[in-house]
Amino acid sequence: MTSLLRRRARPETTDAPVISMVDVGMTYPNGKVALADVNVRIPAGDFVFLVGPSGAGKSTFIRLLIREQLPTSGVIQVAGRNLLRMRRGQVPALRRRIGIVFQDFRLLPSKTVAENVAFALEVTGTPGSVIRQRVPTLLSLVGLHDHAHHLPTQLSGGEQQRTAIARALVHDPAILIADEPTGNLDPVTSWEIIQLLIQINQLGTTVLMATHNQEIVNAMRRRVLALENGHLIRDEAAAAYEREY
Amino acid sequence: MSFLRFVGFSIVRAWQGFWRNAMMSLAATATVILMLVLLSALFIVITGLNSGLEFIESKVAVTARLRDDLPLAALTRLMDEVEEMPGVASVDYVPPEEAMRRLEESYREIGRELDLGDPDSNITLFASLEISLTDPDASSDVTARLSNDPDVERVLTKQAEYDTLLGVINAIRTVGLVIVVLVGLVVLFMIINTIRIAVYSRANEIEIMRLVGASDSFIRWPFLLEGILCGLIGSIVTILLVAGIWDPIQPAMVSIFQMPTAVSSRFLTTLSLLLLAAGLGIGAIGSWISVRSYLAAAR
Repeated sequence: MTSLLRRRARPETTDAPVISMVDVGMTYPNGKVALADVNVRIPAGDFVFLVGPSGAGKSTFIRLLIREQLPTSGVIQVAGRNLLRMRRGQVPALRRRIGIVFQDFRLLPSKTVAENVAFALEVTGTPGSVIRQRVPTLLSLVGLHDHAHHLPTQLSGGEQQRTAIARALVHDPAILIADEPTGNLDPVTSWEIIQLLIQINQLGTTVLMATHNQEIVNAMRRRVLALENGHLIRDEAAAAYEREY
Repeated sequence: MSFLRFVGFSIVRAWQGFWRNAMMSLAATATVILMLVLLSALFIVITGLNSGLEFIESKVAVTARLRDDLPLAALTRLMDEVEEMPGVASVDYVPPEEAMRRLEESYREIGRELDLGDPDSNITLFASLEISLTDPDASSDVTARLSNDPDVERVLTKQAEYDTLLGVINAIRTVGLVIVVLVGLVVLFMIINTIRIAVYSRANEIEIMRLVGASDSFIRWPFLLEGILCGLIGSIVTILLVAGIWDPIQPAMVSIFQMPTAVSSRFLTTLSLLLLAAGLGIGAIGSWISVRSYLAAAR
């Protein structure tokens, strides 16, 4: 595994955080408060669950991290960059430092597994020689080497999510954000995806996973950030999923 | 090297996009061709009429029929006075014998003989002054001066023809430009819609591109080039059409508009460049409007 994805030096938790939110608030123009006074510090190499009921602010939290939106108050730093001071032209470089996967996979149906992964490299101007070398490496990492020429419709849900994870890793990101990655998967496949995320985390990539899956959160005993009505109501290490959700 | 990759990527994606949405792309291209054909027709007619106008300008002269038996001293005085007027290039005296010779010649040119009835009749024509001008606008001053001269029987000028043709050219130019602008707006609308449909049909791709860190250029340029491609193909087809019918048109232009043949090859090149610029321009503007509004909203 280490030969497939470059292993990062495991940083100490006292190092500069890879994600930092200070007094972050987000109020939409219609007056709805999506986030209020959120303070979070995630060190590099951490594995963090983001939990909370629907409408709690998880999606806004993620959109702010990838700078799809800007907060109405507070400061956000991701991978050493202050997102509020970032110019529009610098956003693509930030997003190459962040891999993201979704519940609905978001693969391009007309492209094969390998083409879906390669697409993420092509559109960022990566040379063909690098793409030809990088894509098989990533497909091996996620266990899809034999499915490289299959279309997404020929894959199971788990395989489609693996393809999406391979695509999220093309730029060797510092952070992998997984938004309900097991939401459309059966329990067995969900665990396979979690195992893959753990492996990626062990290689040094910080993983932030938004989920409703109580079983996984309880079994993993990792740090949990719990949101409710836009407020961070719990930030606990080695925590479990609690009944309030 | 990375720039070449970007260019290659954008061109390939534009080409794929054009054919993926073939019906709309071809419809937009057809409207571009329609617009450019109209533009060509307008350009040809206006250029031809302008050429005719120049021809008339070069010939615009004032002819003054002189009173019979005008003394030489009076003739010399009149010639000197007119020659000194501003805008006058030269003043030539045409004696009655020369006027008769020209009349006979003009009859011969149309295949007839001048018949004056009794060969012994003493029919003579007026002597006249032919005044050529350096400035066609001086025509009215010269005419006024000569009309008031007691030695002048009648003043003839081509100013009326010139004014009529100028009026026709201005009318055609205005109506033609209005038509071309209206058709241009339809074309712009078609291209905006074609590219907008292309953008919306690839909304998923665009979202993925943004999420994986593609720059705005990588997202925008394939769509811009797709619109430019509609304009480019439209221009090339129109240029080929015009070049194809150029041979039959050319002699007609020379005879109808008095257009110098030597101008013809340069004229075709100018027209081709105009069509190329108009096609590429409208393709670029249409797709730019479309992509700009969508991506600004999506960002």
